[in-house]
Amino acid sequence: MTTAPAPPPDRRSRRERRCDHPDHGVERDGLDPRGRSRRRLLVGAGAAGLALGTGLGGVRVSFAAQPSGGTLVVVFLRGGMDGLSALVPAGDPHLAAARPDIAVPQSAALPLDRTWGLHPALSSLHELWRQGRFTAVPAVSTPDISRSHFQAQDYLERGGSATGASSGWLNRALEAAGPGTPLQALTVGKSTARSLVGARATTSLRALDALTLRIGDDARRERAVRALEALHAGVDHPLAADAAAALESLGAARLAAALAPEPGADYPDDDPGPQLRDVARLVKADVGLRVACVDVGGWDTHVGQGGVDGGTMADRLGALDRALGAFVADLGPAGDAVTVVVMTEFGRRVAQNANRGTDHGHGAAVLLVGGGLAGGRVHGAWHGLAPDVLDDGDVPGWNDYRDLLAELVTTRLGVPAGALGDVFPGHRPQPLGVTA
Amino acid sequence: MTDHSARTDRSSPRSAPRTPGDDPPARRWPRRAVLAGLAGTGTAAAAAATVRLRPTGDVAGAPPARRAASPLDGGGFADRDESFARSAGATRISAVSAEPALEHPTPSAAAAATAVTAPTLLDTTDPVLHLLRRTTYGPTPELVAEVHAVGIDAWLEAQLDPMSLPDPADDLVAAALPLAWADPATVRRSIEPRSWEAMSQCSVATMARQMWSTRQLYEVVVELWADHLHVPTPGGVSWDTAPDYQATVIRAHALGRFADMLVASARHPAMLRWLNAAESRKEAVNENYGRELLELHTVGVASGYTEEDVRDSARILTGRTVAGEDGPGEPGSFRYDPAMHWVGPVQVLGFRHDNATAEGGLEVGDAYLRYLAGHEATARTIARKLAVRFVSDDPPASLVDRLAAAYLDNDTAIVPVLRTLFRSSEFWAAVGQKVRRPRENIAAAVRALGIRPERDVSPTLRRLSDATYRTGHQAMRWPAPDGYPDVHAAWRSAGTTVELWNVHRALVGGWDDGLTQPDPLRLVEGRPAGTVGELVDGLCRRLCFQTFRPEHREALVEVLGGDPSAPAPSSPNGDLLEVVALVLDSPYFALR
Repeated sequence: MTTAPAPPPDRRSRRERRCDHPDHGVERDGLDPRGRSRRRLLVGAGAAGLALGTGLGGVRVSFAAQPSGGTLVVVFLRGGMDGLSALVPAGDPHLAAARPDIAVPQSAALPLDRTWGLHPALSSLHELWRQGRFTAVPAVSTPDISRSHFQAQDYLERGGSATGASSGWLNRALEAAGPGTPLQALTVGKSTARSLVGARATTSLRALDALTLRIGDDARRERAVRALEALHAGVDHPLAADAAAALESLGAARLAAALAPEPGADYPDDDPGPQLRDVARLVKADVGLRVACVDVGGWDTHVGQGGVDGGTMADRLGALDRALGAFVADLGPAGDAVTVVVMTEFGRRVAQNANRGTDHGHGAAVLLVGGGLAGGRVHGAWHGLAPDVLDDGDVPGWNDYRDLLAELVTTRLGVPAGALGDVFPGHRPQPLGVTA
Repeated sequence: MTDHSARTDRSSPRSAPRTPGDDPPARRWPRRAVLAGLAGTGTAAAAAATVRLRPTGDVAGAPPARRAASPLDGGGFADRDESFARSAGATRISAVSAEPALEHPTPSAAAAATAVTAPTLLDTTDPVLHLLRRTTYGPTPELVAEVHAVGIDAWLEAQLDPMSLPDPADDLVAAALPLAWADPATVRRSIEPRSWEAMSQCSVATMARQMWSTRQLYEVVVELWADHLHVPTPGGVSWDTAPDYQATVIRAHALGRFADMLVASARHPAMLRWLNAAESRKEAVNENYGRELLELHTVGVASGYTEEDVRDSARILTGRTVAGEDGPGEPGSFRYDPAMHWVGPVQVLGFRHDNATAEGGLEVGDAYLRYLAGHEATARTIARKLAVRFVSDDPPASLVDRLAAAYLDNDTAIVPVLRTLFRSSEFWAAVGQKVRRPRENIAAAVRALGIRPERDVSPTLRRLSDATYRTGHQAMRWPAPDGYPDVHAAWRSAGTTVELWNVHRALVGGWDDGLTQPDPLRLVEGRPAGTVGELVDGLCRRLCFQTFRPEHREALVEVLGGDPSAPAPSSPNGDLLEVVALVLDSPYFALR
């Protein structure tokens, strides 16, 4: 399709744009005194935006102000990331024995402590480790998780098994954290992450730069925005919330469009580089973003996953590493309030298969990046890779995902301890101590 | 560091050698119980409670003894779409029939006997519109008139015999995209190795058929199976074989027997490569295909199979591989290699076989596949998928039960299941209970506007296909083995919503010069459009087959000046084009 001219970018400085705001002295999460986010006023270059707060029946929008708490970014590696290649128990002789072709040798691993090293492709994370902005937890799982991709992802995204909860754990965490703005939770991807599905309306977008309503004439675009809102007014259907979120996102995209990455923030083109770049822009644009979900596919390395010299695993880890490093550099001091958790549905078998890959396993490695972390050590329980320790050839789930995630939503989203039972029903979380 | 070592109360290995004749429950270690012991509250009582928490009503006839290590222990859903739909609180329709039964002698009788009671924006008076929203990629005035003329029953029967219908538009597409359904040898002769060209042509041509084929119901069913036995196209590793897979597996069997389609898929190089079966061999069994065959293609996680079942499933399938560049066999073709086949007794659910010879492995596999196709749990998987496609995101169990029974009663034949579906009150009661997925929305807009490629067919279609890609819904491109979701909760996206708004404007405005440009004034030709109000009503009727609620009509009138009694514009100006696009943006058009 050909493209109509995009509306001109707002070339004013961020400070100047804030003067659009009736209460520009207040910087509280981008909310005005009624709690409406600033971008709401910028959709359709002002006048049309004023209409947006009205008339959208059925949309769960809360206008109450909220305490500042920061942003939790959940990067989900789809397919089962091989934790033993990322967070490497480098000195464990059982690793080399089980993986003669693909183990990361101790000599090549970037050292963390006496037990652990990182895949050499994770050099940015190694630097962040030195700064106290990276840590990790090995052998993470949750009871009953299976080796089915769907089932394992579904359990995790609903908040662990045996809960009986159908909504996503992040959606429940948002409910427990209190009111928020329409853009408080976002999936940077083609559709909403399962963990964000539930009663609280959330949305997704693929790329901020693609988010433009392509109507060349300004006045006509403003009329169209008003009409789109009115066409969904009083409609008791999720489509109404979808339209509201789309209009909100258009405003956020306008704000974010002018924000270039900071010098030194060199995002890779591969996932999750573009997605984390957009998350950083939304954090910097101050649109009230509390939770962002990013999916990265391609971790189901049954065949030819490669070792330290290259291959699928090294490529994927390298892109992940560069993206996370750029994200931290891009946010600068604002990153103190942003924590990234990198999770996956399961780890992979300890032993390599005959295709120089690994099959579905169990305990996974979780990587944590950003502010608010208790750095300097790898957290959680670990008992090595001796065959009698393993669970049917897999790393067991020594550490429970729910303990880790509960700690993060408590510190990062301000979920009260008493509400954790709503987020993770049937589980009494015991913090692993990953947050400072 | 938290010390969890006290929780490692495990005492027995689980990988003891298997002996034929063992009692299956005894030799299958309850993996779930082991893992419950790691949970922090790990006690036998907790493990037992876990089992009780499972929702009831999802599992059809799974023997309790085999429940030991089912992925569903502790609560779960039959599949991804059910998980999304229930989480979002999808409307559960209840069918209300004027007669005691929910099943009727004919589709038209069912339509006449069924009251639509679930609230919806849509006008529920004409069941033909509902039929066409569900069985085609979007109603057109011509199609509505045709169904009214021949009747619902005759039209459906013709659609269920698609090759009896002439399809002139398809010739245009076939000429423009010659590799769309080409056999592997032709593809390999025609393009560079590993080029995505043939796969792209296949995806683009599939989209084109959805938009313009006369065999609309066939295309709808083809898409359902392509998602069910999914091989990403374009994508993955099937550059030379994916078009043939679509032609000889999906399209050849779409209205045939599921058992035949399943057996064909398990002998096709595209599937065998995609799920790593091609390199799975007795010394190194790759579980990927063996697992997805159970979970996605047939019985589903609710059937209660175990990890040991998964391993045997994969063992049975060893030997099914793809001929290499150096032979034996035509490169890229299916080949059974006895030397790769795992020999020994196998058992998956109720299927047992000695599997005693390497040469006999292919037949064992086919018998296993036919066993799975005829399994009661597979019947429910298929029944549910059809009900989600045609009825609602969380379809009534009463219907799923009857569809599953029809599937089993007819030896996995699809057409009798569809006939049962269209004779049900549940189908006719579900007006407005589905949302068009992004590509369906685009296709419906193309069809409603009467747009066709007017020249440069191939590049024009590819640009349309690119638009579907930007909405995350390019035909057959879903990157994972489970195919595109078909419930709205999985599609909600601000980015896609904005992209659809833009595509509507591009189509209405004729931005792509390879496509016919609709003339909004001609759209309402034949209706008096003397005033702005009449013009708006005419556009809504023409594109959505109904008028809008007053407040929504007012929103459109506002774009044309705000006065419904003012004279309608006499030439297609920008505001009028904008109104046409807004009608397509509306929730009335978004519903399937």
